[in-house]
Amino acid sequence: MLATPAAPPLPSLVSARSLRSQRIGRAVRLWVPAGILIALLGICFVLPLIITLPSSTAGDILYNNEAPFSPGHLLGTNVQGVDIFSQLVSGGQVTFEISLSVTAIGIVIGGLLGVTAGYFGGWVDAVISRVLDILLAFPALVLALVIAEGLGPSELHLIWALAVFAIPAQGRVARGATLTLRGLSYMTAARLSGTRPWRIIARHVLPNIMPGIVTFSLLGIGIVVIIEGAIDFLGYGIQLPQASWGSMITQGQNIESVQPEYVLIPSIALLITVVALNMLGDALRERWGVQ
Amino acid sequence: MALVQQIQLQREAGARDRARRLTGSPTLRVAGRRLLAAIPVLIGVTFLTFSVMSLLPNDSAQAILGLNASPSAVAALNHTLGLDQPFWQRYWHWLVNVLHGNFGTTLQGASVNHELAIHVPITMELLLYALVVSVALSVIVAALAARRPNGIADRIIAAISMLGLSTAPYAFAFLLIIVLAVKLTWFPVLSGAVAGPGSFFKNLTLPACAIGFGLFSVYTRLLRADMVDQMQREDYIVTAKAKGVPPWRVLLRHALRNSLFTLITVIGLNLGGLVGAAAIIENIFSVQGIGNDLITGISNHDVPLIEGITLVFALVTVFGNLLADLAYAVLDPRIRYGSSNS
Repeated sequence: MLATPAAPPLPSLVSARSLRSQRIGRAVRLWVPAGILIALLGICFVLPLIITLPSSTAGDILYNNEAPFSPGHLLGTNVQGVDIFSQLVSGGQVTFEISLSVTAIGIVIGGLLGVTAGYFGGWVDAVISRVLDILLAFPALVLALVIAEGLGPSELHLIWALAVFAIPAQGRVARGATLTLRGLSYMTAARLSGTRPWRIIARHVLPNIMPGIVTFSLLGIGIVVIIEGAIDFLGYGIQLPQASWGSMITQGQNIESVQPEYVLIPSIALLITVVALNMLGDALRERWGVQ
Repeated sequence: MALVQQIQLQREAGARDRARRLTGSPTLRVAGRRLLAAIPVLIGVTFLTFSVMSLLPNDSAQAILGLNASPSAVAALNHTLGLDQPFWQRYWHWLVNVLHGNFGTTLQGASVNHELAIHVPITMELLLYALVVSVALSVIVAALAARRPNGIADRIIAAISMLGLSTAPYAFAFLLIIVLAVKLTWFPVLSGAVAGPGSFFKNLTLPACAIGFGLFSVYTRLLRADMVDQMQREDYIVTAKAKGVPPWRVLLRHALRNSLFTLITVIGLNLGGLVGAAAIIENIFSVQGIGNDLITGISNHDVPLIEGITLVFALVTVFGNLLADLAYAVLDPRIRYGSSNS
C-alpha cells in the first residue's frame, strides 16, 4: 500500500518559482475540498443551532411551489409547501450521520479482521478471508431492502445493513496493506526482539497502514452516501415526513418535467459532497504517496 | 548404503519433479485453488441469504390464499410449501433442489428458473452494452489524457471523470430523462421490450448511459494513472523512446498494453457491484431485468425469487473475482503466486 513517492527532481533543475507554484497547487487541492466539507458539515449541524430554519417536515400549503430565493425560503418550497433548504439541511444530517457511522464501523471491525488476517496468515487468514468474501458477494442492496421490509425502515437498521458492505471492503484493504508490511526489516526486528504480536500490530502495523485506510475511507464515505441515497430513493430508507436527499429526488421525480429544480437541488448537494470527498481522498493520496 | 540412499533420494526428487510438472502450471494451480475457495463462499452466501430472509414475516401462504383464507387452510398450505419445517430443514431442502437445478416457485406460482431465464438475459444485455461502450471510450480518452499529463486535454478529462465518479447514477438518470427523453424526445422515458437491434438501442441506451458514466470515469482514471506512471518510471518505455519509437506508439503499444491487464482485473472485481447498480437503474427506466424483479420480489416478500436472484448476484461476483485473478495470472507473467499469499 505504502509506496515510496516518486523521487523529486534535482533541485538545481527546477526553478524556485515552479517549486512554489507546485506547493501552492498541492495546498489548494487539499484545502479547497476540505473547506467545502467543513462548510457542509457546518451548514448541516451548526447552522440550525444558530438560526431557526423553517420546519423540514411540515409546510404551509398556501406557500407551495415558491421559486428559489423567495422571501423566507432560500431555495423555495416544494409541492406541500415545505422549505427546501430546511429539507436539504435535515437530509444532510441524516446522510452524514449514516455515512460516517457506517465507515467508522467498517474501519474498526473490518480493519481489525484485515490486520489480523494479514499479520498472522495461515488458517486465520484463510478463515477470515472466506468470511470477508462471503460478505462481499452478498449484495448490500438486498440486505438493506430486506431489513427495511422485515424490521421496518429506520436510520439504525440502515447503518447496520450498509456496514455489512463496508466491513469486507475495509477488511480487504487492511489485509492487503498488512501483507506488504510483513516482510519488511523493521517488522522482523520487532519480532526478533520479542515484542508481542498485538504490540507489533499497534505500534508498527497500524501507523503504517493508516494512510491507505484513511484515503480509502474517504472514497468509501462517498460510496455510502450514494448507496444510502439509492435506498431512500427506492423508499426503503429514511421515511417521510423526515427528509433525505434520496427521497427528495424521488418526490421531485413526479414533477421533474415541469420543474426540474426539485430533482436538481438534492442531486447537486449529493454531487458536491461526493466530489469534495473524492478530491480530498486524491489530495491525501498524493501527499502521503499511497497507491 | 550411501549410494542406495542417494539413488532413492534422487528417485523421490524425480517423482516430485514430475508431480510438480503436472500440477506445475501456475495458472492451473491458481484456477483450481480459487474454484475450491469459491465453493464455501457460495454456500456461505446462500446460507446468509436464507438467514436474512427469516427477517421477513412468514406470510407467503396468507399472501397466496388472500386475506379471507381460514387459518386451517393457511396452515395446510404452509405444510404443503414446507414453511412449517425448521430452518435447517428448509435450507437443506432448498440447497439440494438448487444443486439439482430447481430454484423453486414464486408466490405467483411461476417457476423461479423460468423468471430467471426471462430476466437475466435482459440485465446481461444492458450491462454488456454499458461495459463495452465505457471500456472502449475510456481507452481512447485515457490515451489522450496520458499523452500530455497536466495538459489541457488531461485536465478536462480529469474534471469529467471526477464528475462521473461522484455522480449518483439515479440522479444522472433523471438528468438524462429530462434532457434526452422529455425535452429532445430522442429516447423513450420508459424502456419497452427489446426486439431487434433498433429497439435495443432505443430502449437500452439511456439506462446504459446511466450505468456507464460511472464505469467510464473509474476506468479512465485508472488507465490514465497507470499509463502516466509507466511512462515516467519503466525501463522498457525509456528503451522504446531511445530506439526512436514514435511517442504515440510507445503510449499505445508499450504502456496501454500493460495497463489493460489492470483494467481487466478491476472490471472482474467490480462485476458484482455492477449488478446492484443495475437494480436501481432498471427500476427507474422500468427495464424488465433481474434487478427490477428483485425489488418487486422484496416488496411482495417473495422469498424463493429473492433467493434465486441473490444467488445469481453472488455467482457473478465470485466468478468475476475468479476471472480477475486468472486474467492476472495468464496475462502478466511478472505475477508470481507464492504459497504464502493467496
